[in-house]
Amino acid sequence: MADVKNLLAQFDDISKNPQRLLKEYLNAGDKVIACFPVYTPQPLVLAAGMVPMGIWGGQCNPQIAGKYAPIFTCSLLRSCLEFGMTGAYRGVSAAIMPIICDTFRGMNSAWRAGVKDIRPITFIYPQNRKDPGARDFLIEEIKTVRSALEEISGKEITNEALQNAIALCNKRNAVMRAFCEAANDHLDLIRPADRHHVMKAATFLRPEKTIEMVSALTEALAAEPVCDWKGKKVILTGITCEPDEVLGYFADNNVAVVGDDLAQESRQYRSDYPAANSAIESLALHWFAIYGCSTAHDDNNTARGQMLVKLAKDSGADCVVLCMMRFCEIEEYDQPSVIDTVTRAGLMSFSIDIDQSTTESGQALTKIQAFAEN
Amino acid sequence: MSETTEVKKPKRPLPKSRVMLNALVDSIYQAAWDAEAKGEPVGWSTSIFPQELCATFDVPVLYPENNAAGVAARHDSPRFIATSEGELGYSNDICSYARLSIGMAHQMANDPNYEPPSVQRMPRPTFLLCATNSCFELLKWYECLSRELDIPIFMQDCLFNYTDAKPAKHWIAYGRSQIEHNIHRMEEFFGKKFDWDKFLELQKISVENARLFDECVLMNDRNPAPLNGFDLFNYMAPMVVARSRRETTEVLLQLKREIQEHIDNGTTTFGTSPQEYRVDWEGIACWPNLGFNLKTMKKYGVNCVTNGYVGAWSLHYTPGNLDEMAEQYMLSSTNVVNTTTMMGKRADVANHFQCNGMFCHINRSCKFMTYQMTCGREIVEEKCGIPVVFFDGDQADPTIFNEAQFETRLQSLVDVMKANKEAEQ
Repeated sequence: MADVKNLLAQFDDISKNPQRLLKEYLNAGDKVIACFPVYTPQPLVLAAGMVPMGIWGGQCNPQIAGKYAPIFTCSLLRSCLEFGMTGAYRGVSAAIMPIICDTFRGMNSAWRAGVKDIRPITFIYPQNRKDPGARDFLIEEIKTVRSALEEISGKEITNEALQNAIALCNKRNAVMRAFCEAANDHLDLIRPADRHHVMKAATFLRPEKTIEMVSALTEALAAEPVCDWKGKKVILTGITCEPDEVLGYFADNNVAVVGDDLAQESRQYRSDYPAANSAIESLALHWFAIYGCSTAHDDNNTARGQMLVKLAKDSGADCVVLCMMRFCEIEEYDQPSVIDTVTRAGLMSFSIDIDQSTTESGQALTKIQAFAEN
Repeated sequence: MSETTEVKKPKRPLPKSRVMLNALVDSIYQAAWDAEAKGEPVGWSTSIFPQELCATFDVPVLYPENNAAGVAARHDSPRFIATSEGELGYSNDICSYARLSIGMAHQMANDPNYEPPSVQRMPRPTFLLCATNSCFELLKWYECLSRELDIPIFMQDCLFNYTDAKPAKHWIAYGRSQIEHNIHRMEEFFGKKFDWDKFLELQKISVENARLFDECVLMNDRNPAPLNGFDLFNYMAPMVVARSRRETTEVLLQLKREIQEHIDNGTTTFGTSPQEYRVDWEGIACWPNLGFNLKTMKKYGVNCVTNGYVGAWSLHYTPGNLDEMAEQYMLSSTNVVNTTTMMGKRADVANHFQCNGMFCHINRSCKFMTYQMTCGREIVEEKCGIPVVFFDGDQADPTIFNEAQFETRLQSLVDVMKANKEAEQ
C-alpha cells in the first residue's frame, strides 16, 4: 500500500510540474521537443536523441493569446498559445504540430506570429485514409519531420535507431494498457484523479521512465487485494478531463473511471506502431490503424460510438461521459452520434464541459451528482 | 389617429446577367429533381469539390453551402438550425451552414410533413462529395450528413498549405491519386464509364469561366467602382454551382458587358450615394443581414469594392493536366493556405483596388477565416497602411449579428479613413 501511495504521489507531482521537468532535461543538456496533440510521431524525437514532451495547455485565463486566437476557439490551444507567448515553454527547441483540425490551421499562423522563439514543425495527416496515395503521402510528410529534427539535433536518424524507438514506444503503450487494466481491480486505490495523474505524467516523462514507474505501480497494485467496487463506473471520452476538481466530483459521488477514450490519455496508447518494411513506414501505418477518433475520418460513421459501447461493456461501465473541450468543433460534431449509439446500446451517457480558461465547473458537478443519484 | 399609407419603392428590374444567372441556377435545381424522379443519383457537394467529375458523368449535384446562403438570406434558416440544436443535440458552436443543412437533411428524411424552403428546394441526395479545402469542419459536417442519410462520401482531401512555398510533389501526387480514385469509385457507383474526352472539354470551360470571373472582379478596380461590392456575392453563385457549364460563360460575358457599360457611362450599381470610401470586405457575407449591411454602408458612402472570399473559385490549370488540377484545388480557398500567403495577397489586392480600409467579418461559424484575420491584420496594416476593423456576425445564424455593433464599427472605420484622407490632403 505504501508503494502505491508513494508512486501515486510522484505521478501527481510530475503531472502538475512539467516546467520543472523541462528544466531538469535542459539542465542535463538534453534538447526537448514539444509535442502538440495528437499522435505526434514521438519515436522520431527519441531516435534523434532528444526528449519528447506533450503539451496540453493548462488551466489559465489567457491574457495575450487573444491577439491571435479568437475567443471562440479551442480552449486547450488558446492556453498553449498563451503559455508559448508568455515564455512557459522557453528552452524547448521546437514544437511538432500536426494539422488535424481548423484550430490547428489557425494555430500554425498564431504560433508563428506569437511564439517566435519556438519553431513549429508542421505536418499533415491525410484524411482520405482509404485512398491509395495516402500512405505514400504520409511517409513523405513524416520524412519532412525527420529532416527538421535531424537539423535541430545535428544527428542523423537511422532506421535502426528509429526501430528501437518504435519498440520502446510500443512497450510503453503496453505498460500503459496494463496499468489501466490493473487499475480497474483496485478502484478503491486508483481514484479518477490518480488514474489521470499517471496518464498525464506519461506525456511528460521519457518513455523509459514511464515504463519503469508505471510498471512499478502496476506490480504494487498486484500485491493489493482486488476491490469489489460497489459504486458506479464510467468511461470518459473526449480530449481531456481536467482539472482535478472535476475528477474529484466523480470520486466524491462514488463514481469510478474504468476506461477512457481521451486524446490526452488512452487514445495515445491503444494502437501500436505496426510492423512494416521500414521504420518510417511503421510510423505512417500507425495513422491508418487508428479507429473511433474524432480527428481521423472513418467510413464507418458510427465507429466511435461502437468502440465506446464495447469498451464500456468490457469494463462493466454504466455510462459514457463526453468531456467536451470548450469550442472543440471536431468533438462537437461527434457528440450527438456518440450519445445516440451509446444510449441505443442500453448505456447511459451525458456531457460535461471542459474549459481550461475557467475554474468554474459547477455544471459538471450537478450532472455527475444527478447521474450518481439515478 | 392619422392614417398612413405605406408606399413601397418599386423594385429596380434585375440586370440581364442576373436574370440569366437565376435561370441557370433554377435549371440546376430542376435537373436534380428530374434525376430524383427517375430514381437516378443526386449529389450534395461542398463548394470547391472538383466539379468537373460529376459534370462528366452528367450526374446532378447541388451545394448545401450555396443553398444555406440562399435560405439564410430569405430569413428561413432558424427552423432548420433549431432542429439541429434541439432535436438532434448539436452544439451551437458548430458552423451554421452545417447546422442548417443537417437540420434540413433530418427533416427531409424523417418528417412526413417536411416543409422545404420556398426557393432552392433540394431533393434528398444519394451521395456526398466532400473537399476539405474550405475547412476541416466540412468533413465533420459531411460525416454527419452521411450518418443522417446513410449515404457514401467521395472525398477530396485538400491539404492545408502551412508553408509559403508551392505544394510539394508528394502533396500533388496525393491530390491526383484522389481524383483518379474518385473517378474509379464513381464509375462503379454510377454504373457508367468516365468519358475522358468530355472531361477535357469541361475542364476547358471551367478554366475559361475562372478567367472570365477574375476579369469581372478586376474591373471593379475603377474609381468609382462600377459594382456595388455585394453584387459579387451574387455572381459567385454560378462559379459555385456551375463552373463547368457553358451557360456560366454566357452569364459572365453578359456581366462583363454590363460592367463595361457602367465604366463607359460613369454609372455604378452602388446607386446614387457617393463612393467616399473604398474598402476590402474580408469574410463571407452575413446572409441574413445583407440588406441592412448594404444600406448602412451606403449611408456612410462605403463601397466594398473587393473581397477575398469570392476568389475562392478561381481555379486556373491547364486542361488535361491532372497534377495542375489537383494543385489548384489545394490552393483555391482562402482557408487552405497559411496566413502570410493569404493575407499578403489580400494586402496586395487592397493596394491594387486603392482601398482606404479593410472591414473584416469575424464570422462565428468560420473559425479559421477568423484566425486569418486576427493573425494577418498586422500584415495588412504594414503593407497597406490602412485601418483594419472587425465586426461580429455569422453567415447564416441571425442570432449572432448585432446591427448597432455593425454600425458602430463601421463608423469607427470611417472615422479613421476620413482622418487619413484629410491628412493626405
